[in-house]
Amino acid sequence: METAPSSVSCLPHQTKMSKAKKVLEEAREIQNPELDLFDKGVATFEEMPGLLNMTNITRLTLSLNRLKSVPPGLANLTNLEIINLANNQIEDLPLSLSSMPKLRILNLSINRLYTLPRGFGAFPVLEILDLTYNNLKEDSLPGNFFMMETLRALYLGDNDFEKLPPEIKNLKNLEILGLRENDLIELPKEIGELSRLRELHVQGNRLTIIPPELGNLDMSSNKAAFRFEGNEWVQPIADQLQLGINHLQDYLRSETYRILYNRYLTNKPPVPPPCVDKAKKVSRIR
Amino acid sequence: MMMVNQKDASPRIPRLGAIENSSLAQRRASKGSKDDLSYYRYEEYDNVPLTPKPINEQSLKVSWVTNIANMSRDNMLCSKCGEGFEAQEKIVNSTGQLWHQQCFVCAQCFREFADGVFYEYDGRKYCEHDFHVLFAPCCQRCGTFIIGRVIKAMNSSWHAECFRCEMCQLELADTGFIKNGGRALCHECNAKVKAIGLGKYVCHKCHSMIDDQPLKFRGEVYHPYHFNCTACGVELDANAREVRNRPGLAKNDTNELYCLRCHDKMGVPICGACRRPIEERVVTALGKHWHVEHFVCAKCEKPFFGHRHYEKKGLAYCETHYHQLFGNLCHHCNQVIAGDVFTALNKAWCVHHFACSVCDQKMNQKTKFYECDLKPVCKKCYERFPKELRNRLRRQHEATPRRAPTPSD
Repeated sequence: METAPSSVSCLPHQTKMSKAKKVLEEAREIQNPELDLFDKGVATFEEMPGLLNMTNITRLTLSLNRLKSVPPGLANLTNLEIINLANNQIEDLPLSLSSMPKLRILNLSINRLYTLPRGFGAFPVLEILDLTYNNLKEDSLPGNFFMMETLRALYLGDNDFEKLPPEIKNLKNLEILGLRENDLIELPKEIGELSRLRELHVQGNRLTIIPPELGNLDMSSNKAAFRFEGNEWVQPIADQLQLGINHLQDYLRSETYRILYNRYLTNKPPVPPPCVDKAKKVSRIR
Repeated sequence: MMMVNQKDASPRIPRLGAIENSSLAQRRASKGSKDDLSYYRYEEYDNVPLTPKPINEQSLKVSWVTNIANMSRDNMLCSKCGEGFEAQEKIVNSTGQLWHQQCFVCAQCFREFADGVFYEYDGRKYCEHDFHVLFAPCCQRCGTFIIGRVIKAMNSSWHAECFRCEMCQLELADTGFIKNGGRALCHECNAKVKAIGLGKYVCHKCHSMIDDQPLKFRGEVYHPYHFNCTACGVELDANAREVRNRPGLAKNDTNELYCLRCHDKMGVPICGACRRPIEERVVTALGKHWHVEHFVCAKCEKPFFGHRHYEKKGLAYCETHYHQLFGNLCHHCNQVIAGDVFTALNKAWCVHHFACSVCDQKMNQKTKFYECDLKPVCKKCYERFPKELRNRLRRQHEATPRRAPTPSD
């Protein structure tokens, strides 16, 4: 089998490989449905022979490896509920993943994704999708991305979104929306329709103003976490944030703010420049 | 009617129909009874032999000798035959009339009255035997002649002691009766029969029907207004409470009645749901007492019946609805957390589902972990984050001092 060209030395590579094989053998022996293959130094799926035949497994953890791609055959493991590919070097995904019938949790954080395959939003039961720390932006999302009504958590932090499509409102069950450190210029007012939303991370963006509709959200319950720091907020919002999240919520609901918001939109003030230098992001490496 | 006495002025036999003069009516009047006499649809008279003072010939004779000594016997005539009397002839004097001894006989058998006892009917005199045979009433119950008090009711005659309530056998002669479906009943039984027919209770005290809510007390039903509160003395209504204050004693006989106010002050626990006292098992929760069946989930209203309940803002919930409403669903499995709840980063987990979000390795309360976007990251995985990301995350946390520092410990 072809080994990854990035392999440096043979000896550590061999030991790592044997580690992965060992885990696979053990798992086969005891019929363990949860497979832990994190930090095994694997760069391709070929280094894990027989993995794609282990149809009984429900969890596959492959984080902290050097995987660059995912074979379409992974979708044959139809009992998988959790796939964790965090902290790899994945640039491409097969479309077949989105047809996996039981997949509830998919972690693709800290990878090198610039795009998602067309039709990627077809997951039937996906609940948590973690795409933190990739190179995604609104253009790279497939058309059906916001059809995943079962999603409870969508992590898009550390990406390159400037806008979020208004179709976000289709994710009716969304409780967590992570948009930390993107390039967001504005938030869609449709976020205010996500009645179950209790976590919103928009720190470190280029936001200046918040649609009044977001006042509909319950920002001040003890389960809620709404994070707005590190933006270019207009002064009244900055002042309310200083006072606390419930002050902001009351303010967003006020008539005063509605007037201010409309006046602000008609004035069309300049968009703040990107404030975070992302050139050093590891995900950029080609 | 049968018994007529025209001549004898004896007060013992009232005129027929003159019931208000009867001894019964007089007894009632003397008692000040206000009972409506229209109830008492029987008639009563005393059927007693006349002349209990037998005719004493000697005294009669003497009396006549002395009283009428200077009267000529020629002027005296026998009431029966109209003949005069011989000089030495015995004269019978009865009720102001004079008789030949042979004329003073039973109108039926023409024999002298035994012991001088006779009965008079329609102006004629009868010996006891013939009077009974001809005129005396027969008791409908025992079939024997009625001597003395005669009760005429239900188209028959009765001995006073034979005229009884057909249900409870109570003597009716002095209390009166009510005709109910061809039966003579006492007031009590009549009321019962009537009440049963109407589906109502009869007060055990006044025996009349209870139209409103009855009060149960010591196993019987009453009009509530017959009683007063044991504590404050107020007249009771149907909300009164029977208190078994000495549980060791027989079931009913030490029970006492209290008005609702006093009862509530006596320390009997009151159900927080229905506000009524709890006589049996008491559930104490949320700072209140509850009937077992009234301690229910605030959402689905099913009783807990001893199952685990969850309290939130003064309300109790079943496990399912507590979690449904208050979000104690596991972030990982999205199921209600059955056992202990692991709470961190604004989320909850099943204890065995709390794991590093990167390597999926289980963590416990003692494991040190970092947070990134409110996801738990174990130390090992955090250190493998890209260095520039770690720097940014660190700066960000430094910029928000009120938040938990990056290392969660």
